[in-house]
Amino acid sequence: MAEAVRAVGLTKTYVTGTTSVVALDDVSITLASGTVAALLGPSGSGKSTLIKALGFVSPADRGEVLFEGRSVVKDGTALADLSELRRRHLGFVFQKANLTSFLTARENVEIACELGGKGDGRRRARELLAYLDVAGRERSYPEMLSGGEQQRVAIARALANEPSLILADEPTAALDSVRSRTVMELFRKVAHERGAAVLVVTHDHRALDVFDVLYEMEDGRIRPATAAGGARR
Amino acid sequence: MNLAIRDVRRHLPRFVGTAAGLGLLLTVVIAMQGIYAGMVDDATILTRAMRADLWVVQKDTRGPFAESSRLDPSVEARASAVPGVRSARPYTYQLIQRERGGAVMRIALVGLGWPDDPGSSLPLVRGRLLAQPHGEMIVDASLGLGIGESLVLAGERYRVVGLTANALTSGGDSVAFLSVADTQLVAFDQPAEAVVLERARIVERLRRTDLGRGQPALEELATDPRWRAPSLASPPVAAVLIAADPHRVAEVRRTMRSWGDVSVYTQAEEEALLLGGVVERARMQIGLFSVILTLTAGVIVMMVMYNLTLEKTHDLAVLKLMGAPRLRLLGMVLQQAWLLGALGYALAYVLGELAYPMFPRRVLITTTLAWAAPLATFVVVTLASMLGVSHVMRVDPARALEG
Repeated sequence: MAEAVRAVGLTKTYVTGTTSVVALDDVSITLASGTVAALLGPSGSGKSTLIKALGFVSPADRGEVLFEGRSVVKDGTALADLSELRRRHLGFVFQKANLTSFLTARENVEIACELGGKGDGRRRARELLAYLDVAGRERSYPEMLSGGEQQRVAIARALANEPSLILADEPTAALDSVRSRTVMELFRKVAHERGAAVLVVTHDHRALDVFDVLYEMEDGRIRPATAAGGARR
Repeated sequence: MNLAIRDVRRHLPRFVGTAAGLGLLLTVVIAMQGIYAGMVDDATILTRAMRADLWVVQKDTRGPFAESSRLDPSVEARASAVPGVRSARPYTYQLIQRERGGAVMRIALVGLGWPDDPGSSLPLVRGRLLAQPHGEMIVDASLGLGIGESLVLAGERYRVVGLTANALTSGGDSVAFLSVADTQLVAFDQPAEAVVLERARIVERLRRTDLGRGQPALEELATDPRWRAPSLASPPVAAVLIAADPHRVAEVRRTMRSWGDVSVYTQAEEEALLLGGVVERARMQIGLFSVILTLTAGVIVMMVMYNLTLEKTHDLAVLKLMGAPRLRLLGMVLQQAWLLGALGYALAYVLGELAYPMFPRRVLITTTLAWAAPLATFVVVTLASMLGVSHVMRVDPARALEG
């Protein structure tokens, strides 16, 4: 399978006064297109820092990130327009849906289409909402949607720019087990049907069988997970 | 997709409320400026309407408006004889206060040099000019008198024959134009009791002096009921207005300044004296109020825009994370500020149209004010949005990932 993103030797240290914390310690990871991967690990293990580095939000101090084979960030220096890269090729899903509060469900997806340079954003937004079974709520504001509906809209928004890479940071933390599994299955569906690489940070071990690959982080280091499930490790 | 409009739509009541508050503030700011412009116009309309090249006033005084000026009426004849003078007219100016129908009327009586000046330079909107030297007057419409109505002054009835528009003093008092002789009658009128008492005082003084004792005829003269002591001398005028040949104004002025009993001002100098003396303090006061109100409006808009932006911090972080260009987000804040300004100004405009005519002082929206007010609003709201703009610049997209 084609490689969507590859990180090599990422190291990131947070310094607060005289205290320094190593959030990423020589982390290397490759995410292939069309696969859905889970990133497990306790709080403070470096998962969010890795997501930020892979999502070109907050670069690591050292190491390199390659996107579709092209070096994009090296040793903390951007080699490309990261904002443009996020806009065109990346999708994000958050713990809380983080929908834009003053936009309706459809507009939340539409703005992402627009930013991603996808023509006829309104039509595409409607298609995506239908794909994720929330077509009936397109005129609703985020506060009018249930947690599950919000997360579906957030996934639709993440898909709006036809991303090569979707990064999801604990997207089911606020959902019950049934809705949680539904969302995870949606990620699998997106990865397999649309060919995107999906990395999901999760604490939820009940739906690990949905993932193709499992990674586990601890103390800033990454290793293949030992968790049970149908996934390859 | 216009994010500014979407955000306004979502928070419409608050946005409209803020625009309404801004609109009210702008109404007051514009009114302040309009009142000042009206005050200047009112103050100078009196001098402009007289169409004089030179104002001859009492020596070392600042003319009839800034301070009292008493000039011997013979100056008129003397001035007429100066080479280059086309005409010389007497001018009087005095403020009176009368009650009519229970309401207080403050009126500035301005004397017109009948028959040369029946009021032909006045901004007449109805009626006619003075047609006789006594018993007629032209008044400003703001006085509330109609054509044909009359007013009793100093025991005489004066009929309104013409109405002017916006003929007011710098103090906002309505002006009534009468012949100079009539204004002098009003100015120097004495009640019968005062005349009797004055006669008695004269007789008493005559009896105490050799002059009175030696010439008894003087006492008879003083007690003659047809004789009114003050009218022995011609009453003074406030100024003499000179119309000169255009190319000889300076020469005429030089000649008159050589006289020991008068001061001479050009039309522009007379206006400057009037504005500098009477209006200057009001201008500074109004200017200060306007600056304070403008700053208040600016601070309010700034805080509203900043709070609106602050509330959207997370939304902005998400949009930045999604790759929204910074300019687009800055544009959202600026567009909202401009929309706020536009709505506020529109409201101020409508309120002004409705309310300004009801103000006790004239609110004059000059051409300059008409374009400066929206421009100033635009500048103020743009500057006021800078705090919000700087917040947008500082928002870190990583905040979107922080739950």
